[in-house]
Amino acid sequence: MKDIFHILFYKIIIFLKVNSPFNFKSLFKSASSGLVYLIFAYGVYLLTQNTIEYLLVTVKIGSFLLHRFILIVLFIFFVTINVGNIVVSFSTLYKSKEVFYLITKPLSFTKLFLIKFLDNFFYSSTTLLLIITSVLIGYAVYFNLNWTFYPIALFLLILPFMFTAASLGVIILLIILKLSSKFGTRKVLLLISILYFFGVIAFYFISSPIDLIQRVFDYYPNINQYFGFLENSMIKFLPNYWIADALYWISEDKFSRAVPFIYANVITSLTIFSIALSLAKKWYYQTWLTSLNISDDLRIKSRFNNKLFRFDKNSSLNSFDESIIKREFWLFFREPNQWVHLTVMIVLITIFISSISGINVIILNSYNEYLKTIMYLVVTLFNVFLIASLSLRFVFPLISLEGDTLWKLRSAPINFNHLLLKRFAIYFLIIFFIGQIICVFSNNHFPIQLSIIAQLNTAIISISLITMNFGMGGIFANYKEKNAIRLASSQGASITFLFTLFYLILLIVILFIPVFNFFQLQSRGIKTPILNLFATTIILFVLSLLISSFSLRAGLKAFQKDV
Amino acid sequence: MLDLINITKKFGTFIAVDNINLSIKAGDFFGFLGQNGAGKTTTIKMITGLYAPTSGNILINNIDIYKDPIKAKSFIGYIPDQPFLYEKLTGREFLYFSGGLYSIDKITLKKKIEKTIEELQIGDWVDKRTEEYSQGMKQRITIASALLHNPKLLVVDEPMVGLDPQSAFVVKNVLKDLANNGVAIFMSTHSLNVAEEICTRIGIIKDGRMIFEDKKEVVETIKGSDHQNLESLFLHLTK
Repeated sequence: MKDIFHILFYKIIIFLKVNSPFNFKSLFKSASSGLVYLIFAYGVYLLTQNTIEYLLVTVKIGSFLLHRFILIVLFIFFVTINVGNIVVSFSTLYKSKEVFYLITKPLSFTKLFLIKFLDNFFYSSTTLLLIITSVLIGYAVYFNLNWTFYPIALFLLILPFMFTAASLGVIILLIILKLSSKFGTRKVLLLISILYFFGVIAFYFISSPIDLIQRVFDYYPNINQYFGFLENSMIKFLPNYWIADALYWISEDKFSRAVPFIYANVITSLTIFSIALSLAKKWYYQTWLTSLNISDDLRIKSRFNNKLFRFDKNSSLNSFDESIIKREFWLFFREPNQWVHLTVMIVLITIFISSISGINVIILNSYNEYLKTIMYLVVTLFNVFLIASLSLRFVFPLISLEGDTLWKLRSAPINFNHLLLKRFAIYFLIIFFIGQIICVFSNNHFPIQLSIIAQLNTAIISISLITMNFGMGGIFANYKEKNAIRLASSQGASITFLFTLFYLILLIVILFIPVFNFFQLQSRGIKTPILNLFATTIILFVLSLLISSFSLRAGLKAFQKDV
Repeated sequence: MLDLINITKKFGTFIAVDNINLSIKAGDFFGFLGQNGAGKTTTIKMITGLYAPTSGNILINNIDIYKDPIKAKSFIGYIPDQPFLYEKLTGREFLYFSGGLYSIDKITLKKKIEKTIEELQIGDWVDKRTEEYSQGMKQRITIASALLHNPKLLVVDEPMVGLDPQSAFVVKNVLKDLANNGVAIFMSTHSLNVAEEICTRIGIIKDGRMIFEDKKEVVETIKGSDHQNLESLFLHLTK
């Protein structure tokens, strides 16, 4: 333990030193970041309170369904942390320079694993913790809970829950690498992705939120009671169920009924973490060596031999464009962090699209316009969120990743703006296209007018979000960091993510009334003029124009600064 | 102090190191030479536990590094060609951090750090953050950190990269003193003049195989007969 505390002590020193030395520029940057975080935290707090009030008072879904909604959100939260940890842990536990350094020291591999796991967990969870704390405060204030709720919710519910997801993530990673040495990385990744995909689909079948809403609403207006008997008993074994139910009983002022769920949550977290540690004791070094062989195999054999993108093959493009496109292609597909993460995100998007295919049933059977409006907005928000995630992960690091080649680029007779815009264009077109595809599939059950507006709005939002990530990536460029995943979870990336969430809130504000009016008029059989809806597109277009032009300028200007 | 017994390392079908046998005793200063891609860094990575050999054994002070890695590594000081430093720490903080990894008693560590700072002449900038360091400064801090626990085996990968002539002179003297005091040194380098000047034994690796290994006196004899200097001998052997 002495070694662990020694390393953690220095890690804390490093963490505390990030924002010094104190000069005006760094102070201003830190103060601005702090202010953004504070405003954001307050915004999330207000949003939580208002959403709960809206769902309970206006839509009247009842406390039970509210907590089932929380259950679904927690599931998404769990999957996000879990997948995030599988991908990020690969670079932290296996690829980081620090591991290469520490592995030559007289430290046990289990200790090394533990240090890097904790490092990874806290590094990548800071923003999430901020969001959750604000949500918990909003929740507690709405239900008028006393101060004991905060430590219980944070330390006995949320943190163990996140820890379970993260531990499970590294267990999956260890298994992937262990099996890779026997069966090959690609086969194992494919197998695990398929299993994961069916695992997530199975959750939706087991929890069947659509059926549950219908069954609960059969009791309308007596929906303020516990409907646990309507649920599939399988779901009661899942941590997100324990959290949701514990919160339900705490909000009902029946803490004793929450205790078993809290207990199960903590014990499960400790158990999964212990399994991760014991597997690490057996496999970490072995899998670390496997991970080296994977890279070396790829490097030596050059398995990925796409003829179209070979540098020696001429194309109709000019030499400058050709070299940029080919370099981007090879760097992306020869870096497992990049293509594996993209594959995982595409699998998640596919899950999302297939899971909302049943939305038609909800629309047809929903009880009021409020619910329909919520459905439409939730789908729009998810679409935008997916585009934002892709942009943050792949566009935000673009400028920083030029770090290694700055010497070449700066000394070459090229126009930096052309270079960056061309690189940007490659990612822009891909994400824009994915955004449009998601929009087509996720909105096709809504009325045609809403689908058209969604398509237009998504296009405009994509432009502003992708350019915003590009610009912010330039403002917060870190040319020393080579790892795109770490760049995408840096402080600058967190602030960009917060701006994205502001943007999402703004989007709800802009869309809510026109969409609600649309459903209201439609239910009365009145033909709805599309012009009202089109007004939202015009507002978004103006907003997008402002964000995009500012972001592009900022990104291009930032690249030309001295480093 | 260091025994490589039938060491082979394969990456898929590619053989990076092919059946190397070598024994380095306390006080030996072994210069490990070879062209780019010959297998020098792979060998070093196996010695320091970064790679596992496909076959063979590596003994550090008679301890197999893969059977008892913690004990074996406690005898090694490793100076990589691309050193890792925590950028937000100062050089001195990094030295304290490194010493802690070897569980050195705090009072002893403080004295040792002061002594090493003096020996390597790094006192002027040791309290600056390492993010402000030049390549040479980083290299010297890495060397200092590798010496704190009085290693019995020093594994060095390209020690002179980025060093100015004065620093190179200081480093060479420190390494020579260590060897004279009984530390076994395994040094990979492309600087043939450095190897010629300070090493007591020379080994040349080509395509993963050790094609030449002998004492410096033998090298001198060969040089005297057919070749003018080590460079000429090296170019002849690796042709």
